[in-house]
Amino acid sequence: MRIENHPILKSFEKGRLVKFLYDGQVMEGYEGEPVAVALRANGVMVHRYTSKHNDPRGVFCAIGRCTDCVMVVDGEPNVRTCITSLQENMKVETQFGITNSKEDEAI
Amino acid sequence: MKRCELIIIGAGPAGLSAAIEAASNGMQAVVFDENERPGGQLFKQIHKFFGSKEHQAKERGFRIGEKLLKEARDLGVEVKLKAAVMGIFDDKEISVTLDGRVEHYRANDIIIATGASEKMLPFPGWTLPGVIGAGAAQTMMNLHGLKPGSRVLMVGSGNVGLVVGYQLLQAGCQLEGVIDAAPRIGGYGVHAAKLARTGVPFHMSHTIKEAHGDTCVKGAVISAVDSSWQPIPGSDKFLEVDTICIAVGLSPMSQLAQTAHCHMENNPPKGGLVSICNKYGETTTPGVYAVGDVAGIEEASSAMIQGKIAGAAVSFAKGYISDAVFAARYEEYHNSLMDLREGMFGHDRGAPDPEHTEEGHPLSLSLLTKGYMEAEEILDYPGAYPSEYRNKGVSPVIECTQNIPCNPCQDACKRGCIKVSGKITSLPSVDATVECTACGMCVASCPGQAIFLVDETLAPGYASVAIPYEFNPLPEPGSKGLALDRSGSILGEAEVIKVQSSKAMDETAVLTMKIPVEWSMQARFFKVN
Repeated sequence: MRIENHPILKSFEKGRLVKFLYDGQVMEGYEGEPVAVALRANGVMVHRYTSKHNDPRGVFCAIGRCTDCVMVVDGEPNVRTCITSLQENMKVETQFGITNSKEDEAI
Repeated sequence: MKRCELIIIGAGPAGLSAAIEAASNGMQAVVFDENERPGGQLFKQIHKFFGSKEHQAKERGFRIGEKLLKEARDLGVEVKLKAAVMGIFDDKEISVTLDGRVEHYRANDIIIATGASEKMLPFPGWTLPGVIGAGAAQTMMNLHGLKPGSRVLMVGSGNVGLVVGYQLLQAGCQLEGVIDAAPRIGGYGVHAAKLARTGVPFHMSHTIKEAHGDTCVKGAVISAVDSSWQPIPGSDKFLEVDTICIAVGLSPMSQLAQTAHCHMENNPPKGGLVSICNKYGETTTPGVYAVGDVAGIEEASSAMIQGKIAGAAVSFAKGYISDAVFAARYEEYHNSLMDLREGMFGHDRGAPDPEHTEEGHPLSLSLLTKGYMEAEEILDYPGAYPSEYRNKGVSPVIECTQNIPCNPCQDACKRGCIKVSGKITSLPSVDATVECTACGMCVASCPGQAIFLVDETLAPGYASVAIPYEFNPLPEPGSKGLALDRSGSILGEAEVIKVQSSKAMDETAVLTMKIPVEWSMQARFFKVN
């Protein structure tokens, strides 16, 4: 999914390649890029499930406006992943309603 | 409470231009922007802009952004980032979140340049991951180097949909189609033609009925609509796509103007709720100005001029420039703005769809509905030589058939072969008596990529056609591929015989292909085999 050689922009300035955790799984992304970009580059489309209907949601506006892409990041829920920079060893979790666990949400 | 002289909200093209104008007159301007990087949307705009030299035409958006930032920095403009302004209060006081705290600033004048947000289109499945705004696609591709998806459907045929569609192709995505509920393509014909010639289908009078998929988009159902916008039963089509891109217009982000008690109006041609402004951009609240998309949806080029006008007006009101200087500057900026608002896509968008160009040529219905012109239609316009002249060697064929404010082509030809006479929106004409040297500069300079060099005397039975080319990999001379016509249909085999690229061409290569002479007025794209 990464663009290797862009006809106009050529290459993209990126930080160093770092590891992060997505729902317990080790993934790689570039430091400083939005978490949402690192996830999409790894094929992750679903960021959260809504509380009432359990509908999947992902990136929609990519500029921090719509709040559809929020996830639990380092334990904090409702973090807009499209405008949050990726850091090494960041812990990113799918959000259910406003928690990181399907069970909690059911209660 | 901190005090400053002039507060500008938004570091996009309008806000930065206002800051530059004010600072160059000696004012102390502070710009607040909620984003991590300044420049607004300019750094996502990798296409060449329209307009004339003074509007920085044929410059790519991100390069204009770099220039603006440098200019602002050189003038000592302070830009505060990750600073979301939450409200404008009495006596020109604002509250802003900075580093997780709420701070208060007060100024003598405030310029609101907050831009616009994307309009959305709800339909069953629209919340599925994979349905994104066109702006999101631009952000992912052009800022972060990530393809938003593999197979994309573009919903909306305005300039945003067309330009982002082209950028998707440049990023290496497959564009499965462009749909629009309107019967005519909304954006510039030249933008549509860039897509059509690569084989992208246009479905006008079509709406999206549904997005398919359990956890993300696996397909889209589109349906034809009748003249009252209702889906026609039995016209459903399924498109296998993983991404649906929504480009159905923008609305001004005018909430801050409301908090400043500016009188507002609902103005559909301007995109929705906007503050009522005088000719300098000043709202009904004295000392509060609104410029750029927040004052009415237009292009970045006009936003920059509006910013300069407000910057000059503030400088004059506070005594930094004299009456005479202000009058002269206003006239210059105003005329430049009026130029951009000329033409059939201009400011007067309430007018019914035109049938003819200003010169009286009938508009191509094929272009308006399918995105490309029929070969025989081209000769009806002043940009193409009649064939007896074409037989004498290389000649430009300009497929620019709508009145849009743009004229870099006439400056590109140093020999004066191309003229945009009278208004900036006039159709370019070619002077058949001027000998073309095939330098390719007009081809590379045209932001609409609508100029081709045709030589029907290349070799017995063969012609050459030079085309603008902005894709990777760039074919080498000698490489074989396919010649496509304006609709993207395969004509047959073609060979690249020349590739021109230079700094002045700014990443638009000019590719000359050898083809059988009978395709000379049809072949308009080269597809790598």
